[in-house]
Amino acid sequence: MIGMLRYALLTILAVVFLIPIVFIAFTSLKSNADLLTNPFYALPEKFEWGNYAKAWEQGRLSMYMKNTALIAFIKVPLGILIEAFAAYALTRMVFKGSNLMFAFFLVGMMVPMQATLVPLNIFLNNTGLVNTYPGIILVYIGFGVPFGILILRGFFRTIPKEIDEAALIDGCGDVGKFFRIILPLSMPAIATLFIFDFMATWNEFLLAQIFITSDSMRTITTGLLAFRGEHSTNYTLLNAGVLISVVPILLVYLAFQKYFVSGLAGSVKG
Amino acid sequence: MRIRLMKPWLFIMPALLIYLTVIFVPSLYTLYLSFFNWNGVAPTKQFVGFRNYADLIFRDSVFLKALANNILWTIGSLTIIMGIGLMLALLLNKKIKGRIVFRGIFYFPFVLSGVIVATIWTWMYNPMQGFVNKLLESIGLENWALAWLAEPKIALYAVFVAAIWHGVGQPLVLFLAGLQTIPQDPYEAAVIDGAKPYQMFWNISLPLLRETFVIVVAITMVSSMKVYDIVYAMTGGGPAESTHVLASWMYFQTFKFANIGIGSAISMFLIFITMIVIIPYVYYTTKKSHV
Repeated sequence: MIGMLRYALLTILAVVFLIPIVFIAFTSLKSNADLLTNPFYALPEKFEWGNYAKAWEQGRLSMYMKNTALIAFIKVPLGILIEAFAAYALTRMVFKGSNLMFAFFLVGMMVPMQATLVPLNIFLNNTGLVNTYPGIILVYIGFGVPFGILILRGFFRTIPKEIDEAALIDGCGDVGKFFRIILPLSMPAIATLFIFDFMATWNEFLLAQIFITSDSMRTITTGLLAFRGEHSTNYTLLNAGVLISVVPILLVYLAFQKYFVSGLAGSVKG
Repeated sequence: MRIRLMKPWLFIMPALLIYLTVIFVPSLYTLYLSFFNWNGVAPTKQFVGFRNYADLIFRDSVFLKALANNILWTIGSLTIIMGIGLMLALLLNKKIKGRIVFRGIFYFPFVLSGVIVATIWTWMYNPMQGFVNKLLESIGLENWALAWLAEPKIALYAVFVAAIWHGVGQPLVLFLAGLQTIPQDPYEAAVIDGAKPYQMFWNISLPLLRETFVIVVAITMVSSMKVYDIVYAMTGGGPAESTHVLASWMYFQTFKFANIGIGSAISMFLIFITMIVIIPYVYYTTKKSHV
């Protein structure tokens, strides 16, 4: 009885949660005439796949996604490498003030991005990095450092110290130990961080909005907003564009759901 | 000897340099700028002391509205979003068929960007063609149909509904992880003692979830103070500045009106409020981990 109730409740809620996605999918597959004349819950009279082709070309969505992918595929591995170096020193090399150093990095998690925008804007302008990918990647890496160090330090600490001694006897230096022992052993944590970081970079809006000013360099979040502005009255096309930008996330999500869940749960256990 | 002392710093240096450049030094400079009157381009900045802060509190009605909205947002998140998340976690904390699918459905919106969620829900709220008004019409409640995002008294709540859809997955997953660390023995003992399900929830699950609650509350409060994307992309702070939050008002003051000093002062308020939440949290967690 309670089991039935549980299922009923979950099913109702799941349906409610799916409505927005189903609604945009329906709209995106209708013709404008169909949208205006037929009830909102009706299936499309004829599936207008052409909406997707149009949104793909006119909206320059493919370009925005390519830009975002380029940024994310450079930012994420580079950021993780830098964070892993620091986490290695914090856990494997005993030095005075290492705990203080860790706390200093954690302070960064308190700082809202807003509190850095004007100085960063001045800095990027003075160095000619505003509206460039190196500029935005630098900023993204910076904001990833505290969280990345938190996660990686937490994981590195669980790797037993005996391994270090064995490596030392085998004549492994710190660099060798880092690349040949610690990094390979940390692959589960690195994979989780990779997926998490990738999604955060893909979804980032505020920094992209301010530091990327030319349309041809936009990322998918600011690009989608521009697309929305241009097609604000062509609902079928607009919704095709929205769905196009949802699909890659859905695929990544379905492929790596395990990492999303364990990453979120693990990130706070530290 | 000297090289050995230097070595850890060589490993830390890249992260430290970028961290200092991107976060630490800029936020100190923002603190400095908050004491000046500056439009961002003029060669000289005029020192005004605490006047930007005073102006915000005593003269800027939008700032107070934004602050009130952030507080309302925080309360809503701590009750509604956290409550639904906990309820879903309890429903899913059984080995039932389709559990992964259900969890996947409730969690999925959380991985979408605020801009996508905002665009989806702007369409849901479309006054003529949107799902919400169409649904009301079809069940005979057409008088209730509204231009949801254009009503100053309602728009913020309409945006918050989108935020519920967006955000429920996070507490859900955290609570689910927390529930799974609770051993079965206390429940078995309680069943033998004839405890009712709600008693077990109240006397076993809730107390043993304390750790998880601390985490969820801290994350929820901090992200409620920082909320920006979804508000900006749904209403842009309108109608009649009624939906501004601190982050969006900071953006407008700084980048639309070129009031750098005022914008910087708003970000200092943001840091300050965030610190009030995080410092006790860090204190609590570090104290725990040493025990």
